[in-house]
Amino acid sequence: MLRIMLSNVMVVLGSLVFWAASAHAQVAIIAHKSVPADEIKKTELLDFYTGDIKKWGNQTPVVVFDLKSKSEVKEVFYNFLGRSPSRMKSIWLKKMLSGEGEPPQALESEEEMVKKVAETAGAIGFVSKAKLNDEVKTLFIIENDADKKAKP
Amino acid sequence: MTWLQLMAALASLLMSVLPVCAQIDPGDIKIFGYFQTSFRHTTQLEADPEQNSFNLQQLNLFFQHDFSQNWTAFINFEFLNNFSSSRQWGSANLEEAWLKYRRGKEFNLKLGLQIPVFNNLNEIKNRTPVLPYIIRPLIYETSFNEFIPIEEYLPTRAYIQAYGFLPLSAEAKLDYAVYLGNSPNISTPRPDSLGNFQTGIDTTDTFLIGGRLGVRYRELKAGVSATLDHVNFFQGAETVVGGSPSRFNEIRRLRIGGDFSYNLGPVAFESEIIVVSYDDDIAEVSLDKQFYYATLGYHLSDRLFAYGSYWNTSEDLTGVFREAETGEPGLFNGDANVEVLTFGFSYNFSDRITFKGQFARVWIDFKVFEVGIANISNALKDTANNYAAGVSVFF
Repeated sequence: MLRIMLSNVMVVLGSLVFWAASAHAQVAIIAHKSVPADEIKKTELLDFYTGDIKKWGNQTPVVVFDLKSKSEVKEVFYNFLGRSPSRMKSIWLKKMLSGEGEPPQALESEEEMVKKVAETAGAIGFVSKAKLNDEVKTLFIIENDADKKAKP
Repeated sequence: MTWLQLMAALASLLMSVLPVCAQIDPGDIKIFGYFQTSFRHTTQLEADPEQNSFNLQQLNLFFQHDFSQNWTAFINFEFLNNFSSSRQWGSANLEEAWLKYRRGKEFNLKLGLQIPVFNNLNEIKNRTPVLPYIIRPLIYETSFNEFIPIEEYLPTRAYIQAYGFLPLSAEAKLDYAVYLGNSPNISTPRPDSLGNFQTGIDTTDTFLIGGRLGVRYRELKAGVSATLDHVNFFQGAETVVGGSPSRFNEIRRLRIGGDFSYNLGPVAFESEIIVVSYDDDIAEVSLDKQFYYATLGYHLSDRLFAYGSYWNTSEDLTGVFREAETGEPGLFNGDANVEVLTFGFSYNFSDRITFKGQFARVWIDFKVFEVGIANISNALKDTANNYAAGVSVFF
């Protein structure tokens, strides 16, 4: 009886671990190949996406891309940044109405994101890891757990 | 640095724009803006027992041109309270017209007419799409500027401003802003020897100087602001209280502000305090005032935000008036206190359309009387309820 209970507990725990692992896609932070960085910190990413910093170290303008519609990838990305999409929208709107900058260009799909980042100097964006290709530089991989981050 | 050197430095700075303009793609002029229209129902105010009114509170039109990554020109026209020149309603103002040079995050320079940084809300007080309120915290409600002395609480105009931020650590930033503008006696006639005067020109011999120093750490933001300028509000008081006329000219005014805001998940908090003091040293004359507000809000969803807020203004109302018939100066004395407790919501129907609702309970305690006359000439102690529904549209 005890053994059956233990095995049930193990099954439940196992499913929870599986659920936790599969609940979020792995998201890659990508950039144009010419950007003068091979990795990026979360705080730098936040500065780019809030418009606080507008240039790379070599003075190339940062061009930020976003995804238009709600998706798991977008959710993981914004969770990682620690800002909700509505909070980010509010920050961008405030900047725009103060003449301080433009909101990121929102793209229809991850495929378009990879294409745009690949062809725009200074561009940065995010896609699921499965969409990565050699035309862009990967700066960071957001793992399933936001606290458990690893560079590829 | 002499005035000549200062002018030469400014001229060379402006001249440096020209080669930049010559090299870059002319690009497009961006035209955008927003308006906020509302319906208000007010009850129980003694002077006006009940009011129902639609109002196009505000319409702003922006024109922006980015000459390059570093140079931007920006113009902001603002129309208030159902503006109509033929009906003589509301007002139309050129609020901003500036040229900005951005050297980087550490240094930006704005030249031209602009709304300077002061506390948290001053710069964005008229950006209704980013604010959840229909009626903003009193001294920021520009559509009330016919009866709330907004310009006494806030620096509404400056002409040169440097601002930016310095990283203190990976997540902490030090914000700064310093600016220079006119003292507020614009259009007070001061004729030349031929009797001519030019409107829109400050008639004091002093500047407005001000700034803000603040810190940001993650979603916490706090700062202190201050401005110093001179006013001529008390001119003529010597004829009533005695003394030399020069005592009442260009009295120094100090405005000190503090702001604190914090976002923690779905919870948002923001607060401000402003203290205005006049360095007059004359007991009979005072227009000192104070304002504070605090708003606690909660994001019920990605689109829906609900909040509660408390606002408080208190001001001395002591100064000089002139008899309508004789033109003889006299002194009035009194004070005014307004408290508001308000609850509301904003709903982002789309990225460009925000519906808003707001209820406000207002307590007013106002009294003014002439010095030396026993009967209070004007007093009001009342409460009012205000219900408002509105929409803010960004285009």
